[in-house]
Amino acid sequence: MSTQQSIKIENLVKEFGKGDSLLRVIDGASFTVNKGELIALIAPSGAGKTTLLMMIGCVIDPTSGTIWLGEEKVYEDKWITHNSRKIRREKIGFIFQAHYLIPFLNVIENVTLVPQTNGVSEKQAKADAMKLLEYLDIADKAHSKPSALSGGQNQRVAIARALANNPQIILADEPTAALDSARALSVVQMLKKIATEQNVAIIMVTHDERMVQRCDKIMKIENKKIIFEAVEIPS
Amino acid sequence: MIHLAQKDISHTFGKFIVTAMGVGMLLGIVLIMIGVYRGLIVDATNLLDDVNADIWVVQENTLGPFAESSRIHEDLKNTLKAIEGIDKAEAITFQNIQLYTNSKPIRVEAVGFDPFGDIDPINPLHLIKGRTLNRAHYEVVVSAETGLNLHDHIDIGRDSYTIVGITQKTVSSGGDPLIYMSLKDAQQLQFSYSNATIRNDRDRGAVSNPDLHIVNAIIGTIKTGYNNNIISDNIARWKHLSVYTNNEQKEILTKNVVEKSSKQIGLFTIILVIVSTIIIGLIIYTMTLEKIKEISIMKLIGIPDGVIIKMIVQETVLLGFFAFIFGNIFSHLTYDKFPKRVILEAPDALTLFGVILIASVIASFVGVAKVVHADPTVAIGG
Ligand SMILES: Nc1ncnc2c1ncn2[C@@H]1O[C@H](COP(=O)(O)OP(=O)(O)O)[C@@H](O)[C@H]1O
Ligand SMILES: [Mg+2]
Repeated sequence: MSTQQSIKIENLVKEFGKGDSLLRVIDGASFTVNKGELIALIAPSGAGKTTLLMMIGCVIDPTSGTIWLGEEKVYEDKWITHNSRKIRREKIGFIFQAHYLIPFLNVIENVTLVPQTNGVSEKQAKADAMKLLEYLDIADKAHSKPSALSGGQNQRVAIARALANNPQIILADEPTAALDSARALSVVQMLKKIATEQNVAIIMVTHDERMVQRCDKIMKIENKKIIFEAVEIPS
Repeated sequence: MIHLAQKDISHTFGKFIVTAMGVGMLLGIVLIMIGVYRGLIVDATNLLDDVNADIWVVQENTLGPFAESSRIHEDLKNTLKAIEGIDKAEAITFQNIQLYTNSKPIRVEAVGFDPFGDIDPINPLHLIKGRTLNRAHYEVVVSAETGLNLHDHIDIGRDSYTIVGITQKTVSSGGDPLIYMSLKDAQQLQFSYSNATIRNDRDRGAVSNPDLHIVNAIIGTIKTGYNNNIISDNIARWKHLSVYTNNEQKEILTKNVVEKSSKQIGLFTIILVIVSTIIIGLIIYTMTLEKIKEISIMKLIGIPDGVIIKMIVQETVLLGFFAFIFGNIFSHLTYDKFPKRVILEAPDALTLFGVILIASVIASFVGVAKVVHADPTVAIGG
């Protein structure tokens, strides 16, 4: 197996419900995402985008198939890993449509919560977090509560939180949907920069054509399976 | 590591403090209840401690003079004095009477003793104004709790008495204020017949010949070097009397007089502690529900349950701690407003503190169960 591979999925199936109400959302998906790639995941609403990301993130149980994260096979018809939460906090960064910051923690505490849980010292975690916040141009708000920040500012903090554990994989579920187009574009540019500079594999769910153009590949869910398309840059 | 409980509490500090005050009042009531119990015990034995006798001689086969009525002859004190090992012996009477003052009737317990005798049941430490009795008639010393003042005159029975002394915190085993009068006055009051009764009896051909030389108990002290129990047993065997040492008398009082009330109060206290635990549990449950989205997010980004559970348990214990502080403040502000004696003791408060800490941890389980079952995908929806 290639050392460039970050996510490898084989024959992944996901069903919800039982009997008459059985719903197969993903029906034998197989694909690989390499390190440093920014993938745009496009599919209609209800097609299973969030479900797919949550399976990759070891949050919800697949029905069958195989999932590799980096070198580690985490799922093969059942969970192989015993501590999916450890995998999440050490290998994966999550970004959502809403920022989902913890309201009673200030910006820097939100960003350092996971690294400190991972055993990084408070001092080190704070120094790292300040660098990230500077990188995301939000360092001046380090000691504010999320309630004092605008939507765009909070989303940048949420990105900082997703990056704070130096993840190998970032799973971003419509991270720009709640932002105006200028801010949305800057978020995608930032993700692109992170993917390239830090060799992180990123899957980003989006509906926005202009965002897609910044990505390396397009991933689609068609007939409950995954297909890839090249990004077309209009001339 | 970030102290999550502290951050969460300071985020909604006002609400937290108000909640803690509410629970604190409940705990304050628990402390007062315990204080009432302590007061009951002290009241019950207060008179016994002031009299400070070694033995109590009462009517045969009775638990007198407090738990049962007892009548014996006053001159038994002389018999007692003659017994080897007895130092002093005096007669004493007790009776409940109603005092009529200008404002409202007061129920008191009158203690009759010989002002010229060897034993004065008035504890000098409790005498805050005036003096003890030093005349044979028409003087009383009263508890400050009666509301009467030094040098006032009051009517008791057929006679008028002058208040020559005021004592403090002197009450009967039932919590009624004490008044002290001479033995002769007390006997007159307790055993003499009214003129009407004498007339009626005379009409029926009976002779009213009240025996005024009756008392309720003879109290005695014992010389050093003699064993209270042995002397007490000897008197009981030879003189057809019941004799109790001070400790036995104390036991009779606390057992017979206080046991039921203390069970009542104990049960009340237990119920209040359980209610407090349930209320703390409910509060923590609601606090956890309010945070359920944040808890889901924490689980989603990989925070272990242990970290989140620690936050919930710490918050509960902190709530219990603050409630305990408020409870203490509340009880100390109110305890002296109660009509009967309330005694707040540090060891009781400490015990309650321990109980509340344990109760808080138990109460936090409902929140913890919510944390364990929280679905990490709840926050992000479908
Ligand atoms: N917990 C669940 N139970 C049953 N059905 C679900 C559940 N979660 C998602 N689904 C269904 O799976 C399908 C895919 O959902 P989702 O992954 O959220 O779609 P998308 O993110 O692409 O809009 C939808 O039809 C949805 O109703
Ligand atoms: Mg979705």
